[in-house]
Parts: sequence; structure tokens; C-alpha cells
Amino acid sequence: MIVRIRVKYFASFRDITGRREETLEVPDGVTVEGLREHVKGLYERMAGRDQVLVAVNGVFAPLETVVVEGDEVAFFPPVSGG
Amino acid sequence: MIRVQREEIDVDAVLGSVKTPGSGCVVGFLGTVRDESMGRAVERMSVEVYEDMAVRQLSAIRDEAVERFGVHRVSVVHRYGDLLVGDSIVYIAVSAGHRDEAFKACRYVIDELKERVPLWKKEYTADGEVWVEGERRE
Repeated sequence: MIVRIRVKYFASFRDITGRREETLEVPDGVTVEGLREHVKGLYERMAGRDQVLVAVNGVFAPLETVVVEGDEVAFFPPVSGG
Repeated sequence: MIRVQREEIDVDAVLGSVKTPGSGCVVGFLGTVRDESMGRAVERMSVEVYEDMAVRQLSAIRDEAVERFGVHRVSVVHRYGDLLVGDSIVYIAVSAGHRDEAFKACRYVIDELKERVPLWKKEYTADGEVWVEGERRE
């Protein structure tokens, strides 16, 4: 089974991937950690980053969270507002 | 009032949004664009935001500040887009019965904002563009 996950990239990760968002096809039952590894596999310069934060539907998500079809998953570097 | 916006911040409106008849003070914090960063001269800056999440995170931080410090109201307005040196980036206003809890709550809100709210600065220097990245917090 394959699920389609909507993914967004921000700040330097948007530069690295060359896109604001895309839809990824991943195995059913994939976790946040698994999806992050998948993205690092797609983009070499993401793989070199040890600080890849992940939010699911606008909330920081534990690595073991299972991502389901329809979720919006955002990848971004440590924040720097204020 | 919790808001992310391109427009200049109307500080009077933010202050007005937190005042209550029972408040004895309002503490405000204004963040502005500095002309240097890590020893480099900064000419201008742009701020990127993940808007839906930023508003959710700011609302959560506001609720935490009210709960922890017993302050009356908290408002936060953060800008995104292109900014020049001296421009306002963020304004935080906190009303409370007394100044001690208002100062503490205001400090809490800006500290948490810098760690948890999805906003990113890009600085434009003579050497080129640099994304600023903070400390990790998952």
C-alpha cells in the first residue's frame, strides 16, 4: 500500500529542494522519522543536515508518529524569528 | 491579538488590545532589524513564515504565559517579507496587575518565540545572502 503525503519545505530547505511543496508517495504506515529519511534520500544536501525539524499538520511531531494520507508535513531548519 | 503580517506594526493598536480595567501596567517588547550579525554588516533582511503553524504556536505560547504568570492578556504581532535596518520585526504586549509578572511573561514569550515559532530570517550582507538558523527544538 502506498500513501500520498503533502510535504512543504521552508527557508534553506526550500532553496535546497528548489520547491515549496510536493506530494510524496511512501509506504503505508510510514513514521515521521521514516518520511524524513525518505526526503534525505531524495535531496543530497538535506542528508548532510543533522537539524531537520518536522511538523505534522502544524504541530511538532514525535519521530514515531505515523503519517497518514491527507496529512501536511513540513520540513524546516531551526527557527530564527524575533 | 496574534498575527503575522507584511505590514508595519500598529504599536498603539497592539497596546490597546491588551489593556483591561484591572491591569496596572502593560509591558511591551519591540524587536528591530540590527545593522550587523555575527560581525557582518547587514544591509536588509527578509523573513519567511509558515503562517498556519506560526499562529498556532504563538497562540499556545500566549496561553502558557497567561497560565504560568497570571497575566491578563498577551498580544504578539510578527512581520514577514522584506525589512530594512531599523524596521520593526516583532511587537509583544503583556498586561497584568503588576509589573513583575508582566516583565517575566513578556520575556517568556520572546524566548519561546525564538525557539518554537516557524519564522526564518535571511540577512543580506556585502558577502551575500545568509539564512539565519537558531538552536534545535523538536
